[in-house]
Amino acid sequence: MDDVTHIRYGEPWVDAANGTVSREIFVSEEVFRLEVDRIFHRLWIFLAHETEIPSQGDYVLRTMGRVPVIVVRGSDGEVRVMLNSCRHRGTKLCRGEAGNARHFVCPYHGWSYALDGRLISTSYDEHLPADMDKADWGLVPAPKTETYKGLVFAAWEPGVSELRDHLGDIAWYLDTLFWRTPGGMEVLAPPHRWRARANWKIGALNFIGDGQHVATTHAGPSTLNRLHSKKEGFFVRGGDSFQVVTDEGHGCTLTYLAPGMPEENYLTHPPRLRDAYAETLSAGQLAVMHHLRVMVGNVFPNFSFIENQVALGEKAVLIRQWQPVSGTEVEVLSWVLAEREASAEYRDRALKHGFHNFGAAGVFEQDDLELWASATQASDNPIAQRFPYSFHSSLPFDDAPIENAKGPGRVYRPSNTEVAQLAFMRHWDAAMRPRG
Amino acid sequence: MDDERGSVPANDAAFLEVQRFLNREAALLDRRDYMAWFDLLADDVNYAVAARVSRPGESGPLDYAIIDEDADTLRLRVLQIGDPRLTRAENPPTLTRRFVSNLEVEAADPPNDYVAHSNLLVYRQRGTAPDGDFYAGRRRDLLRRDGGSLRIADRLVRLDHNVLFDGSLSIIL
Repeated sequence: MDDVTHIRYGEPWVDAANGTVSREIFVSEEVFRLEVDRIFHRLWIFLAHETEIPSQGDYVLRTMGRVPVIVVRGSDGEVRVMLNSCRHRGTKLCRGEAGNARHFVCPYHGWSYALDGRLISTSYDEHLPADMDKADWGLVPAPKTETYKGLVFAAWEPGVSELRDHLGDIAWYLDTLFWRTPGGMEVLAPPHRWRARANWKIGALNFIGDGQHVATTHAGPSTLNRLHSKKEGFFVRGGDSFQVVTDEGHGCTLTYLAPGMPEENYLTHPPRLRDAYAETLSAGQLAVMHHLRVMVGNVFPNFSFIENQVALGEKAVLIRQWQPVSGTEVEVLSWVLAEREASAEYRDRALKHGFHNFGAAGVFEQDDLELWASATQASDNPIAQRFPYSFHSSLPFDDAPIENAKGPGRVYRPSNTEVAQLAFMRHWDAAMRPRG
Repeated sequence: MDDERGSVPANDAAFLEVQRFLNREAALLDRRDYMAWFDLLADDVNYAVAARVSRPGESGPLDYAIIDEDADTLRLRVLQIGDPRLTRAENPPTLTRRFVSNLEVEAADPPNDYVAHSNLLVYRQRGTAPDGDFYAGRRRDLLRRDGGSLRIADRLVRLDHNVLFDGSLSIIL
């Protein structure tokens, strides 16, 4: 592992009491290396949706911090996560983003491995010393791999808590997006992938609860959708809204439809799935889902999710991942999902509307990314770094979660403060502090 | 969709007409004259851009759509990037230069329609960045005769990228 012992913990990177956060942590390569060590090579990291690899031998390649991994479904149906590097001399076993294999054969010297990682042959087994045990030379598995409601996570620190415990109260909200019918959700296409010259945390902060950017950053789609919807006699207005903060640095923002919006439906959710929702979700979850216009959130560190109703007939569930490349670059992955039980027409529409708004050419996405890159560039110098970022609008609300909220976690109103963002930064700060 | 084998090449007059049409279209887009560009589209246009999944050769090619628009949604996209008050990604406007080449024109049905395959290379410079970037791909257009002029009825741009660069795609290809 990268030697990060010389990298100092900066005091105070996150000054939660005063609502400020250092700019340095949004650009510095040293902080990035420490993040990789303390966060991405230790904690639970999202890797894939299990429907990306439905059959035996299906695999996708993903990255955890700086570690390239194979996520593969074995002959026994189990999903495994293994270092994508031959034990002999390190060559990548798989070199496309996705495929199907019966076994993994290294293209360099021919070491071959079963789908569960066992070393089958080195091609020259007869030259091996008698005391070399091939069982010790299988592919390196991630010590922790678990799937929650179709979402595959892994961790390189064997001592992490169980995934369900790590998710805690955010799972209640994830369920309403990712497991609301008996069959669960299905990924509709390979993920969009693109890079931006921005720090990965800006994306996570934006999704966990940044109600303040919508009107300015997204003046384009906000204005145009309003005009377009008026023409069609329907405009999706937001009503009451909340921020939710849960343990372990997770959180989300929910906005309900305005009063007077059509009551008697899930709007664009397929009506024939309503019974399936009722069968799968709790009464409390159904009540939240029933009037939801948008839910957007982040599971620490870099797994974001959104279901957003932009206009009539436009609703899609998306997964978003902020994969750090360096202190100043992020690779973004974006998946669109729909219920397995939904019709082909609905799934096709969800996919198109999903990536029209969010994705490698999304009309929302393009403006976000430009501004995040701009913030990263302008902060990447020592003069700017004398002046921290402001999270002040969290302070008057930080100690005052509302009571009798519809869902679990600490719930705050209104939604357009920075409470959830500061909670993310607090957790980041705790994760980065020296151990022991 | 991009299968160019077994097609019937159009005659030279048709080839020249299509070449002029695509050159003119590229000039309009480089000038950001989106309203004039929109007039080159059929009312029932379908406009799609796809990127690629990098896969082992044995698995065969796989694309993923990043844009798939009808006239309504395409108009929203163009109104956004064409109005400085409504776009952040395209304000200041990015500088673009489109190169359209390796043109193949097939006769389509009805006989005055064409299927045109062309290579597209777009140089793009954003803001004050010191370097420009390139998008490369091959386009397949269905050009339909409407009165005296051609209109784009269907476009598919297959980009030669699996990971897109420098933020989201905010121009028309």
